[in-house]
Amino acid sequence: MTATVSERKSALMGMGDSRLRKEDTRFIQGKGNYVDDIKLPGMVFMDIVRSPLAHARIKKINKEKALAIPGVLAVLTADDLKPLKLHWMPTLAGDVAAVLADQKVHFQMQEVAVVIATDRYIAADGVEAVEVEYEELTAVVDPFEALKPNAPVLREDLAGKTEGAHGKRHHHNHIFTWDAGDKAATDKAFDSAQVKVKEQIFYPRVHPCPLETCGCVASFDPVRGELTTYITSQAPHIVRTVVSMLSGIPESKVRIVSPDIGGGFGNKVPVYPGYVCAIVASIVLGRPVKWIEDRVENLSSTGFARDYHMTGEIASTQDGKIQALRVNVIADHGAFDACADPTKFPAGMFHICSGSYDIPAAYCNVQGVYTNKAPGGVAYRCSFRVTEAVYIVERMVDILAQKLNMDKAEIRRKNFIRKDQFPYKSAFGFEFDSGDHHTALDKVLNAVDYKGLRAEQAKKRADPNSPTLMGIGLVTFTEVVGAGPTKMCDILGVGMFDSCEIRVHPTGSAIARMGTISQGQGHQTTYAQIIATELGISSEIIQVEEGDTSTAPYGLGTYGSRSTPVAGAAIAMAARKIHAKAKKIAAHLLEVGENDLEWEIDSFKVKGNPSKTKSMTEIAWAAYNKPPAGMEPGLEAVHYYDPPNFTFPFGIYLCVVDIDKGTGETKIRRFYALDDCGTRINPMIIEGQIHGGLTEGYAVAMGQLLSFDKQGNIQGNSLMDYFLPTAVETPKWETDFTVTPSPHHPIGAKGVAESPHVGSIPTFTSAVVDAFAHLGVTHMEMPHTAYKVWKQLKSHGLAK
Amino acid sequence: MQVTLDKTYPIAAAPDACWKILSDIPNMASCMPGAEITEKIDGQNYKGTVKVKVGPATAAFGGDIQVLEINPQQRTIKMLGKGADKSGSTASMELTASLVAADDGTTNLVGKSDVIVNGKFAQFGGRMMNSVSDMILAQFASNFAIKAQAIAPADTQVAGSATPSASQSGAPAPVTELNAFKILWMLITNFFKGIFGKQS
Repeated sequence: MTATVSERKSALMGMGDSRLRKEDTRFIQGKGNYVDDIKLPGMVFMDIVRSPLAHARIKKINKEKALAIPGVLAVLTADDLKPLKLHWMPTLAGDVAAVLADQKVHFQMQEVAVVIATDRYIAADGVEAVEVEYEELTAVVDPFEALKPNAPVLREDLAGKTEGAHGKRHHHNHIFTWDAGDKAATDKAFDSAQVKVKEQIFYPRVHPCPLETCGCVASFDPVRGELTTYITSQAPHIVRTVVSMLSGIPESKVRIVSPDIGGGFGNKVPVYPGYVCAIVASIVLGRPVKWIEDRVENLSSTGFARDYHMTGEIASTQDGKIQALRVNVIADHGAFDACADPTKFPAGMFHICSGSYDIPAAYCNVQGVYTNKAPGGVAYRCSFRVTEAVYIVERMVDILAQKLNMDKAEIRRKNFIRKDQFPYKSAFGFEFDSGDHHTALDKVLNAVDYKGLRAEQAKKRADPNSPTLMGIGLVTFTEVVGAGPTKMCDILGVGMFDSCEIRVHPTGSAIARMGTISQGQGHQTTYAQIIATELGISSEIIQVEEGDTSTAPYGLGTYGSRSTPVAGAAIAMAARKIHAKAKKIAAHLLEVGENDLEWEIDSFKVKGNPSKTKSMTEIAWAAYNKPPAGMEPGLEAVHYYDPPNFTFPFGIYLCVVDIDKGTGETKIRRFYALDDCGTRINPMIIEGQIHGGLTEGYAVAMGQLLSFDKQGNIQGNSLMDYFLPTAVETPKWETDFTVTPSPHHPIGAKGVAESPHVGSIPTFTSAVVDAFAHLGVTHMEMPHTAYKVWKQLKSHGLAK
Repeated sequence: MQVTLDKTYPIAAAPDACWKILSDIPNMASCMPGAEITEKIDGQNYKGTVKVKVGPATAAFGGDIQVLEINPQQRTIKMLGKGADKSGSTASMELTASLVAADDGTTNLVGKSDVIVNGKFAQFGGRMMNSVSDMILAQFASNFAIKAQAIAPADTQVAGSATPSASQSGAPAPVTELNAFKILWMLITNFFKGIFGKQS
């Protein structure tokens, strides 16, 4: 009867509780409901004819043989979409992308035609039977070649356009130039600097490769004039807006449903041609049309990440105090600028590249370039271009330390933004909300016995018979997540707020509907915990729904670690509205003034008279039964949260590697990850997110690569070549944390899932390069495969 | 995807017999597994087809062959083939083949070719392309040897030459289509030979 305060608190399973994931019951029983599980009556299937060439003119498309196959219902090409003005579509970055290749193909595996058939296999046979005649053109796969004066014109549709979505285009293959920071101040600091370092650093093209590929089931009801589409999307509301704009169907008659999503990592943010074609086919045929891409299609044609050719420079004093940072980037965006960034930021949040350091002057300049490669530039498990930014600054700080013969921990300690400097305005204009790097760094260095490791390394270096080289990597990163304040961030004009709608039922359970959509983040578990703590309702009886635009409030979706910073805040704010109303009802029921009440875990109690209480359950019943005179019945609230600022999670990662001199194989001996994501909602889920992020970071650093030959043929577009680590390859992770809450966020949470990806990649590189640092090696390009590392060993005469 | 192949195949037949095959374009082309000359336009220009099937990728290339040079004195032929299949994969090959008389009366077929492949096949990446090209050429040499020997076998058999043992008992049918399973098997055996070859 009289549960103690702590018993009542733990019964809520609110914030801070490592409650098990509510989602897992259905997943481990095979009861998930993914897009490919959707089966509708009369459903037919679509498959895509893709270009074998990277750059070619389409001379002729012959559909007849395909149409003659029994079961093939339709073959659509750009010419069929033209009357609907759907052969091109707008991209999130202000460019246009071909839905189906219009006269020309711009990259290998580009969509050329679609075949719709009564059976998935017949659709594939139909694809084989479509004959396309091409006239081969010179493919350009290198952005530096693309910018040469006599380079072929890749985008003939833009011929003569000197103004792009982000300002002047100075070359026919140039997309935009975007810069940030103070160029003059930075140049001046470099001119007078005692020490300067400069390095060319390439961040190769990789792909998020979610286990579930992209796909949709489009179902147009010709009688009602309504379109329902089940789709693999991280942003269903934006998809609805785009579909309505493209099709002319009122937004109220378009329903987009993201059911269970098998991983997104940024790959499921863009709107792909396959979606558009399936929707058109459904409208034309009046039947549901399913399109599910295969692995090769996913890796070859959907949103890639990175492909940044960066030149980093640091100016510093003789004793290692950084005075200025300058970064120039050639960004390979592929055939269309389909980069998924807030519309005003064509290089995303790349200007977080001043990192965790107090740098007085900084400047960055990014030039986007067209090439004959698949379009994209998505945020692969990171906020927009933050991975690239953290990589360049962390590499450059290592290189500076090497030049000055300083320890890489010391140089960081010397340049950190101090705790008392927060909120800190960076040279690029960001206002860092909070941080405590010195405490976190000391914690990590002590935990791993950094001095001991350095001593061991010195001993190994001195021993020519040592079978291994030892390297120690260190990264101290700051991320910018939670896009974002609508005054700065929008997608196609829609501000990047997020939303929550909470309804408490008469018996005291509740439902929350959200504008985000989980792809594995565990929203159903963690969102309920925020409400549990705010409203005193057990998270076990709080349902969380998201992904269906017909029921959920409008939100911008889940990517860029924005769910907790933005939607998580919306939940807290909506809950607080309910809390305020509940207080009025409690005061009415207890016949006291609101000021006489105080909140304790799950109830209001009268100050000085603890026996007089009203629990949230009692209040909920009263809200539907006898609200105070003049009060609206019911207990629900909606909140659209426009964040006042981004959040800035940070971390300190350390990695020890042993490199086999015989094989070049890099063994991760130890990886220690300390993260500070502010308030921790569910430590178990955080732990899981960090493990996942570190594993994906390991994949990128050690093996993932989308490469192309000179003719633009994509090399290795299946899982035979593309590295997805399994439990066999994955190292053991050690995790740790500090808690520095965000002062502007209602619950102080910053977001965590992307930090381990962003932070770990440069840590691996830092460790591998460190193994060779005593030989004067300052940088090695990813991925650090055994062969590449072995070549480095060989060049120094170390290969055994 | 560009592959450059530089290969020498010993052929257990006399140089003159070999030249008869090599300089007869349709006959020579039919040594290529899956290849066929379908039309002779003139002495220098032909139309032909090649069927290839490797794993999940199949293609029927149709295209033009242009003879750039025939030199009977040097027993050298230079030609350029260009083709595309219906799904749009393209291939081009510039080939220089010469016959060099060996001391024992047999012939060395010396081939140098630059192959550029685009499309499905190119996506396999370099290692597959190199191995497959090797296999195709080895089958070509084997078929070539059968035909040349049918004209005039060399006096001596050379160990390790590209003569199939069956050829001693008459004229077996040359392999006419590139066989995916056979190629796979040869890739596997070559892989193991590569691993264990050094020790044995």
